Amino acid sequence: MKMARIITFTINGKARKEPVEANTLLVNLIRERLTLTGTKYACGIGECGACTVLINGKPALSCLTLAAEADGKDVVTIEGLNDKISTVLRETFLEEGAVQCGFCTPGFLVMSSYLLKEKPKPTEDEVKKYVKGNLCRCTGYIGVIRAIMKASEKINN
Amino acid sequence: MKNHSFVGKRVPRLFSQGLVLGVEQFSADVSLPHMLHGRILRSPHAHARIVRIDTSEAEKTGAITLTCRDVPQNKFNPRLVSTPETTYKDWTVLTDEPVFLGEPVAAVAAETEQEAQRALELIKVEYDVLGSVFETVTSLDPRSSAVHKRILLDKKELAVENNTACKLEFNEGNVDQGFGEADIILERNYKTNRRYHTQLETKTAVVKPEPNGGVTIWSTTQTIHNSRILIHQVFRIPMHKINVKKVALGGSFGSSIHTNIVTLIAVALAQKAGRPVKISLTREEDMRDHASFSMNFRIKAGAKRDGTLTAGELEMIMDIGSHQVQAYALLGTVFGWWASYYKWRNLRYKGTAVYTNKVPSCAMRGYGNPQTSWIVETFMDELAEILGMDPLDLKQKNYVGIGDVFWGQGPTVKSLIRSCGVEEMFTKGAQMIGWKNRHQAGKDAGPLKRGIGLSRGFHTSSAGSPISGHIVDFSGATVKINQDGTVDVVTALMDHGGGTMQAVAKIVAEELQVPLENVGVVQADAQTTVYDVCTHASRGIYAGGGAALKAARQAKERLIQFAAKILEVNPDALKIKPDQTLGQGVVYIEALPEKRITVGEVAEYARNKNWGSIAATESYRPTAGPPHFTTFFVEVEVDTETGKVKPIRIVAGADIGTVVNPELAEGQIYGGFAMGWGMALFEDTPYDLATGDLMNRGMMTDYKIATPLDILPIDDFKVFFADTYEPTGPWGAKGIGEGSYNPVAGAIANAIYNAIGIRFYELPITPERITEALSKKEPLEG
Amino acid sequence: MSINTINTRILSTEFEYFEPSSVEEAVNLLGRYKEQSAVLSGGTDLLVRIKQKRIEPRYLVNIKRIDALRRIEKTPELLRIGAAVSLLEIEQYDFVRTNLEALHEAVSSIGSMQIRNMATLGGNISRASPAGDSPPPLLVLGARVNLRETSGTKSIPLEEFFRSPGRTIMKPSELFINLEIPNPPKESGTAFLKVARTGMDLAKVNAASMIMVEDNVVQSCRVALGGVAPTPIRVKKVEELLIGEKPTDARFADAAKTASDEVRPIASSHSHKRSTAQYRINVSGVLVKRTLQLARGRSLERK
Repeated sequence: MKMARIITFTINGKARKEPVEANTLLVNLIRERLTLTGTKYACGIGECGACTVLINGKPALSCLTLAAEADGKDVVTIEGLNDKISTVLRETFLEEGAVQCGFCTPGFLVMSSYLLKEKPKPTEDEVKKYVKGNLCRCTGYIGVIRAIMKASEKINN
Repeated sequence: MKNHSFVGKRVPRLFSQGLVLGVEQFSADVSLPHMLHGRILRSPHAHARIVRIDTSEAEKTGAITLTCRDVPQNKFNPRLVSTPETTYKDWTVLTDEPVFLGEPVAAVAAETEQEAQRALELIKVEYDVLGSVFETVTSLDPRSSAVHKRILLDKKELAVENNTACKLEFNEGNVDQGFGEADIILERNYKTNRRYHTQLETKTAVVKPEPNGGVTIWSTTQTIHNSRILIHQVFRIPMHKINVKKVALGGSFGSSIHTNIVTLIAVALAQKAGRPVKISLTREEDMRDHASFSMNFRIKAGAKRDGTLTAGELEMIMDIGSHQVQAYALLGTVFGWWASYYKWRNLRYKGTAVYTNKVPSCAMRGYGNPQTSWIVETFMDELAEILGMDPLDLKQKNYVGIGDVFWGQGPTVKSLIRSCGVEEMFTKGAQMIGWKNRHQAGKDAGPLKRGIGLSRGFHTSSAGSPISGHIVDFSGATVKINQDGTVDVVTALMDHGGGTMQAVAKIVAEELQVPLENVGVVQADAQTTVYDVCTHASRGIYAGGGAALKAARQAKERLIQFAAKILEVNPDALKIKPDQTLGQGVVYIEALPEKRITVGEVAEYARNKNWGSIAATESYRPTAGPPHFTTFFVEVEVDTETGKVKPIRIVAGADIGTVVNPELAEGQIYGGFAMGWGMALFEDTPYDLATGDLMNRGMMTDYKIATPLDILPIDDFKVFFADTYEPTGPWGAKGIGEGSYNPVAGAIANAIYNAIGIRFYELPITPERITEALSKKEPLEG
Repeated sequence: MSINTINTRILSTEFEYFEPSSVEEAVNLLGRYKEQSAVLSGGTDLLVRIKQKRIEPRYLVNIKRIDALRRIEKTPELLRIGAAVSLLEIEQYDFVRTNLEALHEAVSSIGSMQIRNMATLGGNISRASPAGDSPPPLLVLGARVNLRETSGTKSIPLEEFFRSPGRTIMKPSELFINLEIPNPPKESGTAFLKVARTGMDLAKVNAASMIMVEDNVVQSCRVALGGVAPTPIRVKKVEELLIGEKPTDARFADAAKTASDEVRPIASSHSHKRSTAQYRINVSGVLVKRTLQLARGRSLERK
């Protein structure tokens, strides 16, 4: 007994109307229906952060969000980050060895763009706290943290 | 360190715009028209025989189904790095006698994943549950149930005795005499953990059946060519009709050196369905797909009072799980690693690979070297203490270094060490961490105790060697110069995050002396590239880059010939240099400013005059597998009341010859440390013996890896590179991918010993084990 | 958990989904569907359990669109936190940061920022995990839980809320409305600590303490532990030992030993052992001692 419903939301600034089942997950709506594959599935249970998106400007795990919950909300994925903060972050990520295989990179970029909006000049500890839910198996995090701190410096100068 | 134009320069990571924009396609991101989604039915028993399997209800929903009757029955080994005569085969695409919980027994494909899941759950299977074993000790007992009764070695059938998959013994010199000459003999037993790679991208394959009966494949693989060969061997599709495409790979750490079974199942489903099929493993499936090898060691050594080693003996029993992914080669490499750490002088080795009904083990970053490094580096620490020597001095006295024979990946892969920065790294690292001033265990007041540990590691750069043995290792590349002076490099080499493609671009740019941004690496595939065996064994730069260099040299030859013809000069007098203003390489003669022409102009001229392409394709077999070395000095703090360990300071040195990509090489060290931290302190996949399943049920909740909160203040992690040059490497370079990980657990274990005076002989060194050991020990001073 | 019915990439369970806009609507739904229903607030726990096939509800009631449940408000006597308030909002709420340190520390330690933006206190408490991070500080703060069903409301102390691992006293027809935390005693201090495998992990053991020191005497003291019993517990024996005594390290250490002696960690209900019983017993004492020391420091700072 499922219930198809139509949800209205914006995705990366564009208005959208989609029919979804009650049990459709937001991550799959994004990846399959909207063909935005930057958001990743890597664990499905909230442990890795690879599926992180912004909903009404706040970070959420799309693998644990029903598509229906996005009704009336603004969803932003990695593909939709286009402000100054995210542009600088993309540069510093590439400069500081923060990108190796790149699978975790979208999640980190979404989280750190949220971080730098909330805290333009975070300390190293604050950076670690904000991104602690994003796992990376390649970089050991040092390059990622450097990239975020460097972006913060660049943006504020 | 020589000064190059591009090699060694820090650049924003090349070819990675797609990754930061989120548009780079990984296998699971590939979507094709009319594509079906597949799901795999897995055995809920660790060992069973299928009595009856009924897919009719699943088929009624419109799903395509597969059972082992629908797929080829021939046994294979999914890893083709070893030569056929040393390849043990015990896998089939699907099985009717699963030997581990989670083994694929059937598969479905449907329009959506939801439908596939529903169809999967409609398949009815009746199992006859059989006996199973989970410990090597039990498994070796003749009374225990057999995991496999008969397997193949190449094409020959073999009977398996006592669940022994394969064995290797090796002797050199006279070990008993060596022990006789020793003043001190030390013998210890060690047990390692069964780690899981936790590569972020789960194993995936998308297979498109082609109208000519062939297939095109996008998959998580470290080797597009070996995947192609295997698909041909199993499905008998002619190779020219099989294409395997390069896609971004979300980390691998050895888990896709072999072709993952998901790829083979997807090929079978796609052929049956006549439509493209995508199967992407869930994380819980992935955790039941592969794991590292856990090993039990007995190590013995003799030494004279002055620290000279006189003999060494190593016995290793490893749990390979339920299938072989080249366990035999690993027996050899573990021997090679151990033999290459220190000059044991007389050697005796016995390695045994044992089947258990667990997830099949496969190579994990280091291929036996993390385990070997941990035991050797902590054993030598202990030996030093008994001898009353500083471990640094003992290691310095005995290590295998410049001019010595390096056994590399085992008895058939030997070469002479031509570059070695160990002395420099020991001296500098010791000075930076304050090694001489490290205090005795327990001297800190209060429950927090600090300690510093040292570990020295290495790994091969490829499995190259002067002769050919049991390991296939050669690469190839095509370099083409375009009419605008830009360059295409076509290589089958995969990049799983290390920056291999960037290195290849720099190596080619360096040879051709064209601006780095003019060199592109083509996202190629198996049909359009010459053979490269695999990106593993830290061979990306050394072998893959070496092949690109060789091809670039040939292309440059042709370019020079053409330029000489155009300029009407002696070709030997021509040089090339990059010109930033023109954005081109410029071919010129030093004394004659009027005799110059851009690379692009040469190529365009050659096109207009119909002279042909300026291109070359070369294969390259490295004649050595030179070790890259690393040293880790690690300071930790142990909370003796909770057993928690914290990293305080790290000084890591790496000798990788010419450093091609400095920031990425540093990244390998940082990443290797974080991975080693988990290996040392908390990673493991224990089994629930009652059910035969992983205790963590495949959930990341209970497979923890290091998080950003677990690492130390970033400025307290210092990395430096030794100033060395490897004559056999492209521009003097060696690898780094595995040497950056291998010695980390040993350094942490040695640091814990310096902090609390307790040695651990089993991994992981958990807070539970630490507090238990502390409660049994006399209280420390302070 | 049969391996062939679990797929964490999708939700294969089918259910009807409701988004009531009032408490009354929600309560009516729960009253109608009872055991077959489940309340969706954050989803970070519920959806994981559905994916793992631990539960298969036929009706999901999302309470996050009910404004009344999303309020966090401070009155002169207490802090009232609605069931659908996110952990992140609680973590960032001024009064929590400055006056309820143990709660702040506990909530900040839960999951990741993404999870805390989604998860709710109501959900975290209703989960009744023996090692949940929010219960210990709420126990030492003397929190009360307000429930509602179609027949009426109920207010009970948090101490009486947990029944057994994963079970509360709530009926399937009851909705968690809000939690009320009375102001802690003037010039008291609180602290929370937890021990886990990595920086983002469930607790093996956790502890919270509240202490008020005046004239070098412990005037009031409350201690709670998680991960060492079927539910989070107050350790009253420790409290009794300390009230009226001098707040010295030695006294705290003795009291901590009592805590260790009192606790009975359950054999893990899932066989993935995060820790051992002995470890939890030993470390519970260590955490009690350390949280008391930290809380004492904060109490003294307030003077």
